[in-house]
Amino acid sequence: MNKFDYYRANTIEEAIQYLDEFDKDIKIIAAGTDLVVRLKQNMVKEKHILDISRIRELKGIYREDGKIHILPLTTHSEILESEEVKKYATVLREACSTIGSPQIRNRGTLGGNVANASPAGDSISALFAEEAKLKLLSSEGERVISIEDFFTGPGKTVLKTNEMLVDIFMPEMTEKEIGFFKKLGQRNALAIAVVNVSVKLGRGEEKNKMDKAVVAFGAVAPTVVRGERVEKALISESLDSPEKLRYIAQLAWREVSPISDVRASLKYRQDMSINLLYEGLLELYKNNWKG
Amino acid sequence: MQEMEINLTVNKKKYTLKVPVNITLLDVIRERLHLTGTKEGCGKGECGACTILFNGRSANSCLILAPQADGAEITTIEGIGSVEHLHPLQKAFVEEGAIQCGFCTPGMIMSSLYLLKENPHPTEEEIREGLSGNLCRCTGYAKIIKAVEKASKEND
Ligand SMILES: Cc1cc2nc3c(=O)[nH]c(=O)nc-3n(C[C@H](O)[C@H](O)[C@H](O)COP(=O)(O)OP(=O)(O)OC[C@H]3O[C@@H](n4cnc5c(N)ncnc54)[C@H](O)[C@@H]3O)c2cc1C
Ligand code: FES
Ligand code: FES
Repeated sequence: MNKFDYYRANTIEEAIQYLDEFDKDIKIIAAGTDLVVRLKQNMVKEKHILDISRIRELKGIYREDGKIHILPLTTHSEILESEEVKKYATVLREACSTIGSPQIRNRGTLGGNVANASPAGDSISALFAEEAKLKLLSSEGERVISIEDFFTGPGKTVLKTNEMLVDIFMPEMTEKEIGFFKKLGQRNALAIAVVNVSVKLGRGEEKNKMDKAVVAFGAVAPTVVRGERVEKALISESLDSPEKLRYIAQLAWREVSPISDVRASLKYRQDMSINLLYEGLLELYKNNWKG
Repeated sequence: MQEMEINLTVNKKKYTLKVPVNITLLDVIRERLHLTGTKEGCGKGECGACTILFNGRSANSCLILAPQADGAEITTIEGIGSVEHLHPLQKAFVEEGAIQCGFCTPGMIMSSLYLLKENPHPTEEEIREGLSGNLCRCTGYAKIIKAVEKASKEND
């Protein structure tokens, strides 16, 4: 394993001090399910490792002013066990339920999944659909940005070297809102998604009409991407038949520009994204507003 | 190399150890405590051979840095039964023939233990999901699932 010096912060304030002290040469560790693998492969260049896993202020789930906050050290298992998440962040819940294995979900954190910035990070596409915002903090102050503005490439984010992720929050889903997360992997568990799709829809006053649609695709581009054509069509069209949904799902073809790698060829990923989207929309249609 | 003193409770016994910061909890368990029931397969979270209970939840000990385990309460396969007094899960694995080479068995049992703690009467599908982080190259899983079903009946 890489050689490094280990530091442990017990409060956010201490963490920020360490980040400043070793600016550019310090790497945060939360649960380590991603980072320890990289340390073992000698892929971490930083010589100082900052353990934030004991910072109590960074763990937990709460509701405030119509938003649900999931603090970054909250594990995937804790998210799945939360009644609030079950009610108000159903797309994220579905995504977390597909991550890794029980062992990985018991340790892996939401903040680690986001900050790791894998285009295949399952919680990330769900957080796009949930219209999540992130709060970043450094000694220079805090800033709140939309999840979409956080990623700049595979493994790359706007996070400065002395900055950390301290809050993840999103509007509570209302009674009119429904959604889904779907992923296709090589094996069910432990497979990093070949592709995933997250959708949130807001039902309109008229039958078969939506007044809101957020669609995100994971693992098809260097970062998770929004499906804007699909979103527009989901709002402008009357969603009155499976054929209409199929037509709308096909519009995704232009929006997914897959990374072709060993895990799946380009064409296959495009087809799978469209199929997953269609499958999910069809289920929503059948369960919510058909006939 | 930086070293650090850590306190652990493993199978209800307390330890204070000085360890390099860049080793894993799995290394500590096997090489410092000589509890070699916990196995190292892949070393990257995929095979589950290193599964332990960490503060009551199943975890891959190959992905936990030793200093991160400071203060933790840990249960390994050695802590759940002995040759004279097998745990119901261990007994069921033997009786169902769910063990061939045995390399995956400690991890399988720790994952099953956690599963049955969370869900005393799992369906076959739930057992499969509960063991999805544990690979077995020998058995084809059917007998392992049977064994967990059998042990779960003891929860009645
Ligand atoms: C076998 C296996 C299977 C997996 N399966 C899946 C899967 O199906 N889907 C999926 O999406 N992921 C999967 N993962 C990846 C990983 O488990 C998740 O991304 C997990 O949520 C990471 O959380 P962590 O706390 O372990 O992160 P860590 O490893 O501790 O950190 C990950 C990265 O985030 C940074 N970081 C963490 N917290 C913060 C913070 N608060 N502020 C700033 N930076 C921070 C770290 O510096 C590091 O770069 C898998 C991993 C393994 C080993
Ligand atoms: S050795 Fe830990 S999961 Fe394979
Ligand atoms: S019995 Fe040999 S790996 Fe499972």
